[in-house]
Amino acid sequence: MIPWALLDYADQAGELVPSMLGEADTIWLRALLDAYDRYVGRRRRDLKQHLQAPLPVACPARGLRRASHVLDRLWDSEALGPVAPRDLREAVFTEAAKGVRRDLALGRVARRLGIRPGEVEGSLFADLPGERRLAPRPEGLNPWELALRVNLATAQAVLRRARRVRLDVEGHVRGLVSQAKWGGLMCVARPGRNRAHLVLEISGPMALFRRAQVYGRALAGLVPQLLWCDRFHLRADCEIEGAPRTFVLQSGDPIFPAAEPRRFDSKVEARFFDDFCRAAPDWDLVREPEPLVVGSTLIFPDFALQHRRHRWRRWLLEIAGFWTPDYVERKLAQLSEVGRRDLILCVDAQGQCSGQEAVRRDRVVEYRRRVDPSEVLRIIEQPGPIR
Amino acid sequence: MMELTYDRGTLLLLGMASPMTSGLDPKAWPGVVWDPRVDAYRVPAWRYSEVLGRLERAGVAVVDGVDTWKDWRVYGWREVALRPYQAAALYAWGAAQRRGLVSLPTGSGKTWVAMAAMAQLGVPTLCVVPTRVLMHQWCSVLGRVYDGPVGVWGDGRRRLYPVTVTTFESAYRHMAGWGQRFGLLVVDEAHHFGQSTRDLLLEMSAAPARLALTATPPEPGPQAQRLEELLGPRVFRARLADLQGQYLADFHRFTLVLDLSPAERRAYDLEYGAFRAFYLPYRLQHPGGTWADFLRVATRSDDGRRGLAAWRASRRLLAFHETKAAALQWLLARHAERRVLIFTPDNQTAYRVAAHHLVMPITCDIGRAERARSLELFREGRLRTLVSSRVLNEGLDVPEADVGIIVGGTSGTREYLQRLGRILRPAPGKRAELWELITRASPESWRVRQRELTVGAELPTPVLEQVAPERKVGGQR
Repeated sequence: MIPWALLDYADQAGELVPSMLGEADTIWLRALLDAYDRYVGRRRRDLKQHLQAPLPVACPARGLRRASHVLDRLWDSEALGPVAPRDLREAVFTEAAKGVRRDLALGRVARRLGIRPGEVEGSLFADLPGERRLAPRPEGLNPWELALRVNLATAQAVLRRARRVRLDVEGHVRGLVSQAKWGGLMCVARPGRNRAHLVLEISGPMALFRRAQVYGRALAGLVPQLLWCDRFHLRADCEIEGAPRTFVLQSGDPIFPAAEPRRFDSKVEARFFDDFCRAAPDWDLVREPEPLVVGSTLIFPDFALQHRRHRWRRWLLEIAGFWTPDYVERKLAQLSEVGRRDLILCVDAQGQCSGQEAVRRDRVVEYRRRVDPSEVLRIIEQPGPIR
Repeated sequence: MMELTYDRGTLLLLGMASPMTSGLDPKAWPGVVWDPRVDAYRVPAWRYSEVLGRLERAGVAVVDGVDTWKDWRVYGWREVALRPYQAAALYAWGAAQRRGLVSLPTGSGKTWVAMAAMAQLGVPTLCVVPTRVLMHQWCSVLGRVYDGPVGVWGDGRRRLYPVTVTTFESAYRHMAGWGQRFGLLVVDEAHHFGQSTRDLLLEMSAAPARLALTATPPEPGPQAQRLEELLGPRVFRARLADLQGQYLADFHRFTLVLDLSPAERRAYDLEYGAFRAFYLPYRLQHPGGTWADFLRVATRSDDGRRGLAAWRASRRLLAFHETKAAALQWLLARHAERRVLIFTPDNQTAYRVAAHHLVMPITCDIGRAERARSLELFREGRLRTLVSSRVLNEGLDVPEADVGIIVGGTSGTREYLQRLGRILRPAPGKRAELWELITRASPESWRVRQRELTVGAELPTPVLEQVAPERKVGGQR
């Protein structure tokens, strides 16, 4: 995360607009990467010293420091030396503790290890951050990627100071919401203007009482996930130097995305996808369809089953690996509360977490190891009103 | 029937009847607010006892979903033998409803008071300590009187047991996940709290019993007030002078006032002058500004950055220079047979001292295993000197050390007392010595003079010896 002092920003009527790197900056970013390349195999400390002098091309001072900050964390380094520095330190310092002169102690250790005394002194602290030698450039790292990474770190640095975030988001929200939950945040959801659109208010439980930066870290962690949503508009309420400011980030902003989310959460899901596609040529299977808004919470079905010809025939399906009868009851009750009868719940017969017997219900399919597509088809092919 | 549950660092009051019908309005209670996100009252977890008490007094039937620890009884404690002042501290804490701050000088066995409290209460306990090094040290000390497994959360390990030790940083990040699982919260070096965002970890814990330990309690003021609110009142205090001689070793303090060499003095004047050229005009314009304000302004202009670089260079010069190196050489030769701890203002200086005098550095860059190995070698006597900037300041147990040398920096009262405490572990016939090397006519000497004004109150038997200034001290070995 970039230190606050390195940020450049404008204050536009209460909105904080940090300066982001763009196409034009790739020229000096290339020069910076070249400087790092030239120092491969040399000490980080020396590179730092070298970067005190201006680059051969014009560049914004704080932009350069932001980019070096990001690069320093990205670029590997290694401790080089004839002997592991840790072993060398023990040998040298215990020898010196015997009360011998400095040069004598160094000489004795060098003789014992079969290296020159100069090498002993030179590699005593070869593993310290400043003394480590730069490794080759990380694979695939180019000026544009570096610009995106700096922008990501910049946006995260601002969100570290956020109290609350409002998100208008469409498509692939699941990863985002689970990331928020993992970070100890609360997501209050409202349905948006269409089936795919959602409005999420994200904040931490303690946010009511104090400006808790403990959530800043979790809120910042959401940014890379956002890029996998089809469309988003984020508005954060931040506190900057004691004054309230807003910060806006939206689709199209040049930010480095998180690694691509896994296509399936489990092997059971992947297998069901293959089996069902084979068994039901009349149906399309859509992975991770729009979530259902129940009260202020969200239910994320794993699949939508859509008939190819009769477009009105559409079902949702969720696969639960671990569950309790209570969980099943609650989920069904929640769904009937909002008048939804189109969700099929598949529960693992061995994943029951309480001792009680499961209650047999319509639209609940039990499975062992794999979900039988014919069981699902039996439900969705039966005639009669669905909702 | 209403329900009280723990939710990520807060408590939720679920199913409260409307104030109109019950005549009970929780919003009037301190800290309670209505949370429209979940349609319930919410309150920070540290007010658990208070809220429960209010509900009980109002005669409301409560299902208490917070006290998961109440079903637990922690067995496996052996008898903890306490010295008289430790027993007095424990009694005072018990008498204060098991909430309070115990202040004992460094090296006098604060950990033992905490362990006796844990054994006495027998409830699941979370100990929070400032650093990873201290976390591991607490674990090994707990192992001496507690037979059960000790949980560790931090430094790559994540294991919760009824007795768990964690660092401030880990607790700050993860307290929301397990803040309701412990009935007793022990906070080591509690003076770190009361004024920072870290206080959040204390607010997120629902533990009703709280024991805070420190050698240097904050002066009365907003910080002390906040500490009292979160951890309890100051219940016991013993000063260094009260225990010196019997429970802590006798000691002498010395200060060596040293000159810079002419070349270094010229370089220093140049750098410090460059800094003042930027700093003084700033000071005139912003008489009430803090150092943090200054840094903010300075980092935003080229002149400012140059000024800051000059300031850092001047500090580097003062921290360790030729005369200090010579004085240190002389001191190390003088104490060749004793165990010496050298304190530096920062890691860079620690490495410079380490490379120059071939002594083992103990810093955050040195891995856990190597640090443990070095301390072991120090105990065995195969290493006689350790140098460190901060790691050795707080709590780290190096009982064999009997000479401390503060190489430089501008240590305040708290840091000075902590460093002094490191060499006061008693042993028969032990007389500890604390040496301090300072540069004449520099911020170092001004700060030391200022510090001595307050240290005098802490150490009623001042044994400060100002050694007459010399150009060079002692000879080479």
